[in-house]
Amino acid sequence: MADRFSRRQFLITAGLAGLALKSPVLFANTSGSTALSPIMRRIPGTDESTPAIGMGTWITFNVGGDEQLIAQRIEVLKTFFELGGTVVDGSPMYGSAADVMGEALNALDGHDRIFAATKIWTGDESETRAEAARSSRRWGVDQFDLLQVHNLLGWQGHLETLKQMKANGEVRYIGITTSHGRRHREFAQIMEREPLDFVQLTYNVLDREVEDRLLPMAEERGIGVIVNRPFQGGSLFRRFQSEPLPDWAGEAGVGNWAEFFLKYIISHPAVTCAIPATSKVEHMKENMGALYGKLPDADQRQRMADYVRSL
Amino acid sequence: MSGADWLSYSLQDFVMFGPQVFLRLFVRINQDLWPWQLLAVITAIFIPQLILRQNIAARRLAVGLMALAWIVSGYGFLVGYFGPISWPAAWFGWAFVAQGLLLAAAVFAGGIHNSRFSVGEFAVLWLIAVCGLPWLAIADSGQWHAVALFGLAPGTTAAAGALALALMTKTWRWLYLPLLVLWSLFSAALLWVLQTWWLLVTPVATLLLVGAGFWLSPRTAQNPD
Ligand SMILES: NC(=O)c1ccc[n+]([C@@H]2O[C@H](COP(=O)([O-])OP(=O)(O)OC[C@H]3O[C@@H](n4cnc5c(N)ncnc54)[C@H](OP(=O)(O)O)[C@@H]3O)[C@@H](O)[C@H]2O)c1
Repeated sequence: MADRFSRRQFLITAGLAGLALKSPVLFANTSGSTALSPIMRRIPGTDESTPAIGMGTWITFNVGGDEQLIAQRIEVLKTFFELGGTVVDGSPMYGSAADVMGEALNALDGHDRIFAATKIWTGDESETRAEAARSSRRWGVDQFDLLQVHNLLGWQGHLETLKQMKANGEVRYIGITTSHGRRHREFAQIMEREPLDFVQLTYNVLDREVEDRLLPMAEERGIGVIVNRPFQGGSLFRRFQSEPLPDWAGEAGVGNWAEFFLKYIISHPAVTCAIPATSKVEHMKENMGALYGKLPDADQRQRMADYVRSL
Repeated sequence: MSGADWLSYSLQDFVMFGPQVFLRLFVRINQDLWPWQLLAVITAIFIPQLILRQNIAARRLAVGLMALAWIVSGYGFLVGYFGPISWPAAWFGWAFVAQGLLLAAAVFAGGIHNSRFSVGEFAVLWLIAVCGLPWLAIADSGQWHAVALFGLAPGTTAAAGALALALMTKTWRWLYLPLLVLWSLFSAALLWVLQTWWLLVTPVATLLLVGAGFWLSPRTAQNPD
């Protein structure tokens, strides 16, 4: 374990050296002591912390049997690990992404570095265990850290089984997901009634509905929050990347648009982690930049939201 | 799910892979099959020669080759290469195989007519499809290896294959039609989401060739048997 730790530290440090070259603003604005510490978030009700930036796999890791693209995705995951990432999110809905993740984890010997999160995505409520087992074979992990009911599909039955699985030690955490702002009322009711460890929902600098109810409720009830679609599926870059960052971006710890979008999210006190997806090493480096340095305060967050609205 | 929930979905939400992965399917199948795709090229050029003969045996052989093209592109490209990244593509792959078997059945069960029709126009349209459409994947991907050949790439195969309507008797024609239309709609929606604008010409061409197939088919197609 000690060996593994020092190897991991070495990899992170090497990765950060590259990141520092890429994002000098970020490192110039941080005090020496914090520059190399990733921003960690405690999982509510536990002593465990996870890095505040994870990664998603929708579309980006669904490359089928394409060896050339699999090799590229392995590089993406390697960069993620090197820069201190652990939380990876998948779903049986994402085509071959689970198999590609399995191949990447094998290639990088990454099974013990990952916080593996997947979903149960079937209308058949008696299939919970079987689907979790299929996914763990595809990822090559003994068990998942987190199993989530995907988009509330068959949630009653699945959640009952997931609770039993958690009690038996077959999974560490359980949760539910939604996205695009769908079914928030039902989502809130489940959050009120069920013993959830995590919820996953869409939140970004433009889609802020969850700030009104779901995020405060998660904070109050001690539920971890994983944020999907942090870049609105990439459209935030298409809309804003050609615009300049505000003059005060550096003061908020922001060196590029990826950091702008991600730091806005993870600086919300209820958020445990954001899971941007990318197929490119360069983008992964930019995204992981948000895991380091200063975070915007409440005033700066408001200015960030106002700024994108003004563009 | 409520109506409002459904409204919050866009076409984009149903496409679970990106354009790079999709365009590489063409490259990969060409690289893996080399040099056997030359057979597909020869077949594509040979089919109009057979049709120009105005002879039932040659015509049946041409349709038999088209049947093979549906099966190979369905099972090879759609099930084998495309299926792992998209379930609908795998289902379409099996539908392509069924379409090929349907054409083969038409050959053996008297579904190919013996009547004279404008074979010259058939040949010209055929050659435009099999020589013109393959370039579109190259235009979108910027890679020569992505050439979308008849008999391997489903789009080109369906587009040229639509002209088989001109060779079939009425009942068989109506059995053959649904997949052509469904495939065109599916691939148009997909290519739209992927923003592969050049390739989007292929489903449009397929629908036009469906029209041409009906237009070329003789009013009173004679059953040869
Ligand atoms: N209901 C659910 O449970 C649910 C729903 C949606 C999403 N999710 C999860 O959340 C994850 C994230 O959501 P998402 O994938 O939909 O969208 P996202 O992370 O908001 O955006 C992904 C897109 O952003 C682009 N991108 C990433 N980093 C970039 C950078 N630094 N510069 C420019 N472009 C960049 C990517 O393109 P490149 O590949 O070119 O970088 C990709 O097209 C998913 O992968 C999935 O795991 C769950």
